[in-house]
Amino acid sequence: MTYFFQLVVSGIVVGSIYALAAIGFVLIYKSSRVLNIAHGQIIAAGAYITYALTVWCQIPIYISFVLSMIVTFFLAMSVERIFLRRLIGEPIISVIMVTIGLMSIIDGLIYLTPFGSENFSFPAFLPTEPVVFAGIYISYTQIVGVIITFLLIGIFSWFFKKSTVGISMRAVSDDQMASMSIGISVPRVFGLAWACAGLTAAAAGGIIGNITGLNFETLHAFGIIVFPVVILGGLDSLPGAVAAGIIMGLIQQFASGYLDGNFGLNGTANLLPYIILLVILLFKPHGLFGTHEIERV
Amino acid sequence: MKSLKFTTCIMVAAAVLMMALPVSAVAGNVYKLGLSLAITGPTSDAGNPYAKGVEDYFRYVNDMKLLGDDTIECTIRDDKYETSITKRNFEEYLDMGIVFYLNYSTGSTLALKRDFDEVKMPTMPASFHAGNIEGSDYIFLPIASYSAQAIGLAEYLVRKHEGKTPKVAMFIHPSAFGRGPVEDIEKSIKAGLDIEIVEVVEHGQDLDNTAMLQRWKSKNVQYVISQTVQSPVAGMLKDASRLGLVAGKFGEKDKITFLGAHYTGGNDLIALAGDAAENFYWTTSYIVTSEPGAGADAQLALAKRYGRDDKAANSHNYANGVMVAQVAAEAIRRAKARGNEINKETLYQEMLEMNGMNAFYPVTTVGPVTYSKDDHQGVDTLQLYAVQDGEFRAVGKPFIPEYTEKIKK
Repeated sequence: MTYFFQLVVSGIVVGSIYALAAIGFVLIYKSSRVLNIAHGQIIAAGAYITYALTVWCQIPIYISFVLSMIVTFFLAMSVERIFLRRLIGEPIISVIMVTIGLMSIIDGLIYLTPFGSENFSFPAFLPTEPVVFAGIYISYTQIVGVIITFLLIGIFSWFFKKSTVGISMRAVSDDQMASMSIGISVPRVFGLAWACAGLTAAAAGGIIGNITGLNFETLHAFGIIVFPVVILGGLDSLPGAVAAGIIMGLIQQFASGYLDGNFGLNGTANLLPYIILLVILLFKPHGLFGTHEIERV
Repeated sequence: MKSLKFTTCIMVAAAVLMMALPVSAVAGNVYKLGLSLAITGPTSDAGNPYAKGVEDYFRYVNDMKLLGDDTIECTIRDDKYETSITKRNFEEYLDMGIVFYLNYSTGSTLALKRDFDEVKMPTMPASFHAGNIEGSDYIFLPIASYSAQAIGLAEYLVRKHEGKTPKVAMFIHPSAFGRGPVEDIEKSIKAGLDIEIVEVVEHGQDLDNTAMLQRWKSKNVQYVISQTVQSPVAGMLKDASRLGLVAGKFGEKDKITFLGAHYTGGNDLIALAGDAAENFYWTTSYIVTSEPGAGADAQLALAKRYGRDDKAANSHNYANGVMVAQVAAEAIRRAKARGNEINKETLYQEMLEMNGMNAFYPVTTVGPVTYSKDDHQGVDTLQLYAVQDGEFRAVGKPFIPEYTEKIKK
């Protein structure tokens, strides 16, 4: 039974980090209907900014973590202002192509720095000994990662439900024309959505970087890895991203724990999320919590 | 006055003649080589220092006039780890008239294997995949193949293991690069190597390896042999460390001893895994700068001469780049000493004759480079290292795996 609960704990840890990385996708899609293909690169940028502030500028890691979220907030906002603002009203495929271009630009910029082709790891700032409870192991890094994830998810949930700006973002997501007619600045909402996505990406980057070490390929791959999570939860649903993240994390851990290496199976932990994704999409094409839009002709 | 005019005319004529002569007649021959590798993109953490090693050694050859007035001009291009770009680079190098080619990845080496043979181009890749040289006459692996490395690790653990047949898991990259050694390990087991392969796991981009490690624990896995790159190994080691599974000393009871081949280790692993890298056992044919010696001194001096930072200077992939450049330069030097014209045919012949008394001893390897018609694997000797107090330290003497020969029969 300890084995089972260890897998549950690991699944929740992994899943909540997936959820945090997925929130950035959702925030942008929710307000502007754009799928940001460069999200993985922003995750990596966030991790590297935290590292640079911590190691090169000698700023305590807790402060660096917050500062990198602020920097990435403004960075993502600038990206939206420079590259995407002028595409409002253009076909969605054009906007997606711009995010693909953006991915190459950020890749190129990171390769110009030592981060592109060297490996780093954050200085240890938490006890290295794990917390052991009833035979279940969890590291402090994982605990902090989960706490930050749920804290941010809580803040964003409150933000969308209670704050005026959050409600205006939801309004833009529902109907841009109607929102404009009641005085909401749609471009401002888009900018804010990108900025918030940048903020969560930096948080995800910092946490993933602490767990895996800083390797550019590993970090930016998370933009793709969390894609099934986003689709499964519903592209425009924050609770969906959280639920799907944890479901995916649990599926991966259980597949790895009970299927891989048994019955002649191998690699199911990597394959199963995609199979489940396909099956769910067959029955719920908008994901588990996505908005089912009805178009009347 | 007339004689002064005449002398001036002669001098001007001589100067014009000198300028009109081909550069080579004045400054010696220029031998063109090409290197295509991942300076950006996947595996660029290895490709970057590798390129620096190649570049620095050829600069050294030219600066120190090791080939007299002749010089080596090696064009280095980034292929972003994409075979299509590698192929384009190679074709352009052919148009430039290269006499020796340095390739990089397993995928591109396998894909271009026929091309190398078709144009009869001696080629050294940075990939040590045994499949590279199967059915190829022109590809030369710099050092022992990944298979030989994995077998070497398995032999070592058999020698050191106490008790019944050791249970081993293999943690591999999901590609030809990772899968290569599995079959050869299985052949070695059939040939008498006393280990039991409990599982072969092809890793993904895993954030948490708890399930895999706990499963191994439940199956009494005692050793893990990895054949992949550093990042997934670092993740696995961190998780194993958190779960208290890492053996404090080789073969410790009820713990797991982690071992890996060339690209799993080096300073990059320590950079990624931190303290969790302690007691990781790693094999390669290269020297490491954390072990003092003439090779380490030479490597560091070369890097310092050309202004490389500490990270590149101490990288085993810098050593890797220096080594392949040394072999290419040595083949040119030998062909030149024989009075042969330097072209791909004569260099190919020099590579085939690099054995016995003609074996070559580069500064950055733990053994000699030997090639022949039937042996396209350069340095057969391996050295085992282990991380101790954050540095790779040599464990025992250099060795040659026995089963690599046994499974050939």
